Amino acid sequence: MAKLIKKFSRIAIANRGEVAVRIIKACEELGIETVLLHSEVDINSRAYRMATKTVCIGPAPTAESYLNIQANIDGALGAGAQAIHPGFGFLSENADFAEAVEKAGLTFIGPSAEAIRSLGDKVHCKELAKKAGLPLVPGYQGENQAVNNLIQEAERIGYPVIVKAAAGGGGRGMKLIKSSAEAAELIESAQREAQSAFGSPKVFLEKYLDRAKHIEFQIFGDSTGHVVHFFDRECSVQRRHQKIIEEATSPSLTDELRRKMGEAACAIATLGKYKGAGTVEFLLQDGEFYLLEVNTRLQVEHPVTEEVLGVDLVKMQILTAQGEFLHDPTHVRIPRGHSIECRIYAENPFMGGVPSTGLLGHVEWPEGPGRRYEYGFDSGDTITPFYDPMIAKVIVWDENRPRAIQKMIRVLKDSVVFGVHTNIPYLIEILSHKEFVMGTMTTRFIETYFADPIKEPEMTDVEKKIAAEAMVQLRGGAKATGGVTPVTNSPWASFWRGI
Amino acid sequence: MEIKIRIDGVDHKAQAQMLKGTLWLHVNGRTLTMDAGTGQKSRKKSGAGGSSDTVVSPMPGKVTKILVNVGTEVAAGQAVLVMEAMKMEYTLKSEIAGTIASVGCEVGEQVVLGKTLVKITPKAE
Repeated sequence: MAKLIKKFSRIAIANRGEVAVRIIKACEELGIETVLLHSEVDINSRAYRMATKTVCIGPAPTAESYLNIQANIDGALGAGAQAIHPGFGFLSENADFAEAVEKAGLTFIGPSAEAIRSLGDKVHCKELAKKAGLPLVPGYQGENQAVNNLIQEAERIGYPVIVKAAAGGGGRGMKLIKSSAEAAELIESAQREAQSAFGSPKVFLEKYLDRAKHIEFQIFGDSTGHVVHFFDRECSVQRRHQKIIEEATSPSLTDELRRKMGEAACAIATLGKYKGAGTVEFLLQDGEFYLLEVNTRLQVEHPVTEEVLGVDLVKMQILTAQGEFLHDPTHVRIPRGHSIECRIYAENPFMGGVPSTGLLGHVEWPEGPGRRYEYGFDSGDTITPFYDPMIAKVIVWDENRPRAIQKMIRVLKDSVVFGVHTNIPYLIEILSHKEFVMGTMTTRFIETYFADPIKEPEMTDVEKKIAAEAMVQLRGGAKATGGVTPVTNSPWASFWRGI
Repeated sequence: MEIKIRIDGVDHKAQAQMLKGTLWLHVNGRTLTMDAGTGQKSRKKSGAGGSSDTVVSPMPGKVTKILVNVGTEVAAGQAVLVMEAMKMEYTLKSEIAGTIASVGCEVGEQVVLGKTLVKITPKAE
């Protein structure tokens, strides 16, 4: 057994942003050096500054850098790494990449290429689940990808139908088709997004459940392939099929449902000979659950599971890849308290969420008990239009759900991001919404209550006066000493009158 | 920088920074921006500006598909082109009914925020 353990001294990271930082931190704690494989434009990022070594693997477009298999492998080999961590997104669920990494004599930190093929490809996964008798949403997972055929299948299933990228996740390459009139346009759009984001245009169709909750189970297969689950997360708050707020554990599961779904999650993962971290996603509607897909990678929202269980999934992934991680059968894990994650997107919430890019100004993440921040950019870094708009994640933990919601609202209000707009005002409105507070939200929550851009509140008179004074002080005015300034009649105050 | 100010006997604290002519202010749990020159809220700068007879890039990104040609008749709300930014597709639509007068971009082109992509001659009433 001891012979099978290989110790890494240097790990390459085929990713960027906050997850690259997360992986670097895990490596640092394990005494492992890191190599960041980055694109030309990502030199202004925390991961670039933190990594032991950096290798530029290509220009900004993902196809030429982060999705370029050979460039990533060459970069890792050239820098003397023994393993590659793919993070999430990009090549993390690409079986060809996992295979090429192993062929190059490196270790892929994740499940085997075979496991990615059988579980990660949503079409194969459904076939496997069907054989195992697990409940599935009705749909079409065939090989015939002609648009006309897909339209026919959509008609057969009955609208509304959802079209999804077979190789993807995270909302990209995913569209909701409500009627035959828009079917062709949306299927083509999904195929293009799938190609651009995951390198494969393959899509599949599924009946759209209109009042379902999105519940997922974190699973983990140890070095021997023994799979256990680390309980559930609820991610029903989604916009355009992209998760915005996630929490652990779900406020919607009874003990009985939790047990059944956990068993189903372990069953499918075991069938797929799963090693490492993965997620089994379900839809839950009217007390019935349906297996949706398996994500054969670390998940964006993994921190909420870490917070309620007191585990470190990234370190566990690395130890599993080294061949030295075994589940301890005497160690019973029980979730404690409640954890919520909010994804901070660089977008303008008052403009319907259009991306906001540019140079980051002052940034502040207020520290305190039960608060955790995962972010990839500091003040002075540039948010570019080339990649995912998620610039940070805010995670809180508290004794119970109401306390956690209360804490999250406060933390978001105290967080400061200048230079790009963020969805923070939007998140605060969601967290304060009655249905979210009650925990009864479904995947249609956002389209039902937040279809229109949120309204920007008017500035109060006090805020106008503060702004006027800020302008004076920033321009090096007489009051720039930082002391308390009594304002009586600033000439600037008049500018905001009547706005 | 941190701003401290006393208004009507009450002390207020705020974070403020001037970035490219825009004042960014964080006060009472929210972030405000305004144009430092005019003192107007600066949000008009970003996003779907322009008049209704133009389709303007709402963000920096890449044009992935142009659905119309010069002379194409469009209905109000009809999709005219598709852009991609941050790995998501955005379909841009004509606000009015009319005829495409010009197309100011090419497929694959990286465009800046606010660029006029398509001009439309409004349909005569």
